[in-house]
Amino acid sequence: MAQTLKGADVVIIGLGAAGGIACLPLAEAGLEVVGLEAGTWLTRRDFAPDEIRNNVRDWPQAVQKANHEVPTHRANASAPTTRAASHPMMNGVGGTTLHYWAQSWRLNPWDFKVVSETTRRYGRARIPAESTVEDWPFGYEELEPYYDKVEWETGVSGKAGNLKGELDLRGNVFEGPRQREYPMPPLRGTGFTDLMAAAARGLGWRPFPGPAQINSRTFQDRSPCMYHGYCNRGGCHVDAKNGTNVTTIPRAQKTGRFRVVTRAHVTTIDVDARGRVSGVRYVTDGQEFVQPARVVLLGAYVYENVRLLLLSKSKAFPDGLSNNHGQVGRHYLSHATGASVTALFPFDLNTWYGLPAQGVAVDDWADDNFDHAGLDFIGGGNLWIYSDRRPIQAANMNTFGRAPGWGAQWKAFIRQSADRANTAYLQKTTLPYEANYLDLDPEVRDPLGFPVLRITADYRDNERRIAAFIQDKMEAWYRAAGAIDIVRGPLGTMGPNTHAYGGTRMGDNPETNVVDRWGFSHEVPNLGILGGSVMGTSGAHNPTLTLQALAWRTADHLVRSWKSIAE
Amino acid sequence: MNRRHLLLVVVGTLAVVLAGEARAPQSLIVTSPAIKAGETIPRDYTADGRNISPPLQWSGAPASTREFAVICDDPDVPMPQPFVHWVIYKIPGTATGLPENIPIDPATPMPAEIAGAVQGTSGFRRPIYRGPAPPPGKPHHYHFRVYAIDAVLDLKPGLTKRELLEAIQGHIVGEGELVAIYERKPAPQP
Amino acid sequence: MISRRDLLKVAGAAAAGAATAGAERAALPAGAAPAAHPESLHEQSSPRRPLEALTADEADLLTAIVARLIPSDPSGPGAVEAGAVTYIDRSLAGPLSSSREAYRRGLAALERYATLSRGQPFRELSPTDQDSLLIDVETGGATASGAGFDGSSAAFFAMLKAHTWQGTFGDPYYGGNQGFVGWAMLGYPGVRTAVTPDDQRLGARPVPLRRSAYDTDLFNKA
Ligand SMILES: Cc1cc2nc3c(=O)[nH]c(=O)nc-3n(C[C@H](O)[C@H](O)[C@H](O)COP(=O)(O)OP(=O)(O)OC[C@H]3O[C@@H](n4cnc5c(N)ncnc54)[C@H](O)[C@@H]3O)c2cc1C
Repeated sequence: MAQTLKGADVVIIGLGAAGGIACLPLAEAGLEVVGLEAGTWLTRRDFAPDEIRNNVRDWPQAVQKANHEVPTHRANASAPTTRAASHPMMNGVGGTTLHYWAQSWRLNPWDFKVVSETTRRYGRARIPAESTVEDWPFGYEELEPYYDKVEWETGVSGKAGNLKGELDLRGNVFEGPRQREYPMPPLRGTGFTDLMAAAARGLGWRPFPGPAQINSRTFQDRSPCMYHGYCNRGGCHVDAKNGTNVTTIPRAQKTGRFRVVTRAHVTTIDVDARGRVSGVRYVTDGQEFVQPARVVLLGAYVYENVRLLLLSKSKAFPDGLSNNHGQVGRHYLSHATGASVTALFPFDLNTWYGLPAQGVAVDDWADDNFDHAGLDFIGGGNLWIYSDRRPIQAANMNTFGRAPGWGAQWKAFIRQSADRANTAYLQKTTLPYEANYLDLDPEVRDPLGFPVLRITADYRDNERRIAAFIQDKMEAWYRAAGAIDIVRGPLGTMGPNTHAYGGTRMGDNPETNVVDRWGFSHEVPNLGILGGSVMGTSGAHNPTLTLQALAWRTADHLVRSWKSIAE
Repeated sequence: MNRRHLLLVVVGTLAVVLAGEARAPQSLIVTSPAIKAGETIPRDYTADGRNISPPLQWSGAPASTREFAVICDDPDVPMPQPFVHWVIYKIPGTATGLPENIPIDPATPMPAEIAGAVQGTSGFRRPIYRGPAPPPGKPHHYHFRVYAIDAVLDLKPGLTKRELLEAIQGHIVGEGELVAIYERKPAPQP
Repeated sequence: MISRRDLLKVAGAAAAGAATAGAERAALPAGAAPAAHPESLHEQSSPRRPLEALTADEADLLTAIVARLIPSDPSGPGAVEAGAVTYIDRSLAGPLSSSREAYRRGLAALERYATLSRGQPFRELSPTDQDSLLIDVETGGATASGAGFDGSSAAFFAMLKAHTWQGTFGDPYYGGNQGFVGWAMLGYPGVRTAVTPDDQRLGARPVPLRRSAYDTDLFNKA
């Protein structure tokens, strides 16, 4: 028998990057908020610098939810379906901000206006015909105050490149104008990243240190970064990584109006006779609870956001909640971060320490920062070089055809080369397409018996052309810094991704979008959606700061419009 | 199929393939003291045995020959392109064959009579000979093809068959092959 | 445990018998006298820890295999000395228990394949023939040999290699990387909990710290 609990003003499903932000403005505004989180609290004692635990095995989360419901994937509707063994999204208070890289980017103004800007500059025909891309319902300027808010409330280190229109080459001159500096200076450079920055300048490019949601000095009484490594899929042993677990969530709790419920696995969102959301159902250790709420905010990451909507069927919503226009699961995309470039140098790089957010970026070839008139694609890529190397990872390095993968010759190679290779992180514009979508898998189920999500998606020519273009640029950069050999990776497939977008896209047109410009459902007025699932474009930068700014904005809007939304 | 027959087929094919070339390459006679044309390759040269490279011999190379190259592949695989088992080149023009058991350890020098020879990357992604290991069901044909080349080309070790053929294009003055078969029986049902 | 000296004896005999120059050369790497190498003495004298999952036969075979994957040679110790087999054994008794059966079947198939293809158990083959055999397992050449690989022999090899690498280069807490031989091989300066700007300079060589993450008492044990 389900046990019905005392009602709340707002229930947030999932306390990760997005849900963990929204709780603060709501609780501060005086609303009674309940956060339902499938995972548990983790502390700095759980964050050992241990590659086997963090990167080889499944991380110390007590609850393995994401790993038990990994979406299936097929390239198109007639391709075979495969399923990965695991998925690195985190289940815990703070969600994936516990162990993510914490690169903390704003999107470029172009990313909000891909359709109109491309049409204006190159003509409408340049947008791939099968793409369903739309302009965002607002521009960069609308989100700027929220970017600023999240940067200062959580703590982001970086260097401004565009202060109210004033360009500064020490930062990213391609960014949109910001109202003030970052709250902290950037993370320091290393010998290797300095070498790469100099090489980029030699090419006439404009390198700069990337922004990170990590303390470069003491911030809000938390320690600066120790640069010790093990940050990639590792939590921080000194709480210098500003995940929502150590920033906004504890502060929301201090108001006395935010209650965190851990081990709460939400299974359905309930709807009343009027077609409004009335609360959610969750399971803890086999016991089912009903948590009534006047407003529900869904922030369980893209795949679970879409799945929960599709699973929450009712009379009013026979095809899933908020899906009477058939838009839930559409306009899905995942960031093209494959097509890697790895370089071999003739000297040691000393990249054993550091973190993936300690590095140097080049945005000269991102977004529409360069002329595409003579090119056959739109968008571009962010080139990112960083200092971080773990022993097992290093021992598995590419041998550049200079040695087999094991044996005496391999040993001679690795003894010389373990610290001589570097792989760039290349994030590239990815567009939504008509034939790329999410739905429920007809066969595979999770341990509770619910269908897992199915991804049907593949990259198209625009992504492939960007990939080749960016690999050329990256190779040129490495060679300019002295690399003697290069290998290129394949673009890969569109299986479950850590940068997923769409599925509940935001837009003014309810025929093509699930949520309105504020993040609330067009069909269900008291249901808000948080996370990358509302984003219609990816840009060439990690999504989290953007989805956190959006979450803050959605919460802000809820506070301001409480009456019209909640009653 | 006897060898003469085979060679005729080979020469015929070459004539078509190379019709556009200035001069047709001469045909080489390729034999092996261990492998009979058209017959089963002894186990030692397969993955069911020690998997060492077989000895080969050739004759009939034109005087202009400076180097030889050898490729072994299997066109009977269920793939669009033949599966490559061996790529070896920069074999000195004085050589009249390859000895058995070319070292698989690159630190070990090549036998004196083929000093300077290097190996390319096979379908097994290793720069060494890997013999027949076919899926069971039918005999596969293994083509040991020898090329006489009229130049000393700057060829790096590790080339794939395609890269090698591109590199020696226009320099092939002689060509011939030895074809033999190998078949694996299906595993007994447990 | 089979010792390096035994291996070489066998290799020598095989080389003499088959009179194949290649095998002889490979058995004795240029300029090396491995039998007298201090690391191989170490290998002979170190008693094996009690096994938790593998049988003694399986552990012996695995030891001979990992000795070829990351050999001990004049440049330093390899996977055997690192305790990769201990790592695999303990993991199979714990977090990798679902792979226990794959090891049982894979090792048995590999041994059968050695006899079918090379006429002798793996450990009695010359190092060159061992390498040749392992290449056939790695590339899938052994798959349809009738030796009984479960699926592709390449999959078994990939698993075994991944675990050997974990057991050689992972934190010693898990039973491998004993004496930090893996980290020394890579030049990895070790687990630190704080790193200075100097430690990150080009050309800097931070003093190697040789301790497990769990030696510090800062962390809950995995
Ligand atoms: C290794 C790694 C590195 C990354 N690096 C970066 C980076 O450098 N920069 C960047 O911008 N992004 C990065 N990302 C992506 C980033 O983590 C995501 O963009 C972000 O966490 C998404 O926020 P979210 O709130 O939607 O999801 P999450 O942060 O994953 O939070 C979702 C939460 O919901 C909970 N939940 C899920 N289902 C339910 C349910 N049914 N009931 C209750 N609770 C539920 C989960 O347990 C989880 O805590 C990285 C990701 C990974 C895996």
